[in-house]
Amino acid sequence: MSLEAREVTVRRGGREVLVDVSLDVEAGAVTGVLGPNGAGKSSLLLALLGALPDGLAKGEVTLEGRPLADWSAGERAQRVAYVPQVTELTAPLSVRSVVNMGRRATSGWAPWSSLGRDAVVDEAMARTDVTGLAERRFDALSGGEQRRVLLARALATEARVVLLDEPAASLDVGHALALYGRLRELARDGYAVVVVLHDLDDALRFTDRALLLEGGAAVAMGPTSAVITPERIEVVYGVTMQTDAGLRFEESG
Amino acid sequence: MAGFVPPVRTALVTGGLLAALAAVATAGLQLGAGSLDDPQHGAIFLELRALRFGAAVLAGSGLAAGGVLVQGLFRNPLASPSILGTTAGASLGGQLVLLLQGSFIVGVRPEMLLSLGSVGGAFMALLVLLALLRRGADRVTLLLTGFVLSTLLVAAGSFVVSVAQAQHELGRAVVAFTLGGLGGVGWSQVTLAAPLVAFGLVAAWSWSGPLDLLLSGETEAAALGVDVIRARRWIVVWVAILTAAGVALGGNVAFVGLVVPHALRRIVGAEHRRLIPLAALGGGVFLAGCDVVARLVPTRAEMPLGVVTGLIGAPLFLWLLRKTVMR
Repeated sequence: MSLEAREVTVRRGGREVLVDVSLDVEAGAVTGVLGPNGAGKSSLLLALLGALPDGLAKGEVTLEGRPLADWSAGERAQRVAYVPQVTELTAPLSVRSVVNMGRRATSGWAPWSSLGRDAVVDEAMARTDVTGLAERRFDALSGGEQRRVLLARALATEARVVLLDEPAASLDVGHALALYGRLRELARDGYAVVVVLHDLDDALRFTDRALLLEGGAAVAMGPTSAVITPERIEVVYGVTMQTDAGLRFEESG
Repeated sequence: MAGFVPPVRTALVTGGLLAALAAVATAGLQLGAGSLDDPQHGAIFLELRALRFGAAVLAGSGLAAGGVLVQGLFRNPLASPSILGTTAGASLGGQLVLLLQGSFIVGVRPEMLLSLGSVGGAFMALLVLLALLRRGADRVTLLLTGFVLSTLLVAAGSFVVSVAQAQHELGRAVVAFTLGGLGGVGWSQVTLAAPLVAFGLVAAWSWSGPLDLLLSGETEAAALGVDVIRARRWIVVWVAILTAAGVALGGNVAFVGLVVPHALRRIVGAEHRRLIPLAALGGGVFLAGCDVVARLVPTRAEMPLGVVTGLIGAPLFLWLLRKTVMR
């Protein structure tokens, strides 16, 4: 399973938000996409998903060697899964129904398909610890619970590439740690995990590789500990990185 | 905390709606001017009332199912099928046929003209929408286009109504059609609309899966395997077919497509494979019930159906909104 972006340029609202960015998504690793606000992290994720409204301005994203656009939406969904930062789903649906959505591309679109219990759905729910919520209404869950359900839905697709947009945003420290623990487990099981993150400490602890973006351009790519260096962080974020007593950031100057 | 188990709720609501349908059918067949025991005309009264009941159920089903589709498509529980402009197109088509009195069409039975005009009007509006969707209009553009198209067609319809006032009988007929009613419904209209409603319902139901996924927004739906542009285009077609049939039978009946799906979604959840058939049943019961009320209210002429659905539907909708706000 390979997903690769080659010299991708994305234009949105008349300006380039991503310029000549390349990323080879590796199986068995958690890849962090880092950078300050407006660096183009979410645009890169949408490009990897093939979900940019206006497509790519330049470059190419390939899945298993074939351009992403050549795959049907259903074929893509079985290979690349996505967990949004905030879902637009507010309709009254049970948690099981939401996780079942992940099975549609595989089990078919007929109304009667995926009506019964599905072992893949059960496993995805167990893996993300939402089995006990199965009969609760999704829109009545807390933000952290919703995030776990959306991860379960992504796993239910059986896609081996999982893209997550700031999955720990608005989660408390306990839930964030549990979530990153799950992502590490997935990587151990051979999944390719790509995660957009803000917290550099989390990036150092939970990602194997990192792509650092600034103003839409790639600044560095490689093992996370080699990407996050005090010099680079000062240039990109304008903060001083202290590593002597744990990781700490202070405003520069 | 009690679980949210849609299958159980669906079974209960289905049972309740079937009982209500039986009650409304009984009332619809029994009530009205003239006695079924009349040896000369009893059979005719029964046939006319049965036709009227059937037409009400069909129109209500079509409009309510159309409402489910637009509310799902726009992820807005307050959307009504009229938002796409196809209802206004159907209404204008019927009004134009009345105004021109079918003088330009030969070989079609006169009682069919009104229904054919409505269906034709809805499909003209649909063609405009599809032409726009070919260029990949997004959800907001589609919504705005439907809104503007609807406003334009309603304005054209108002113009037709004002022109028709020059002749007393014609003016009355156009206004009566505009307000909605099942008074003059006959076999030909039911024969035209029944296959449209049946086809529209089956087609809409078969798109339940993509409709469910679209509730998550277009990016998530696409990531889960929905071809969003194709899905949006076909859903618009099913809405046009369902609303065309509804207007062809009962004129422009307000609120059915808004209140019924909204109320049922709150009880059985938003999964379309359950919601579409239940809304069809609920819409049928609601409109047939309103038609019985229209016949019973003591006014000089029969109360227009669109007035009854508005008078019952609007307070019901406000009550539902109040419950939503207070929840």
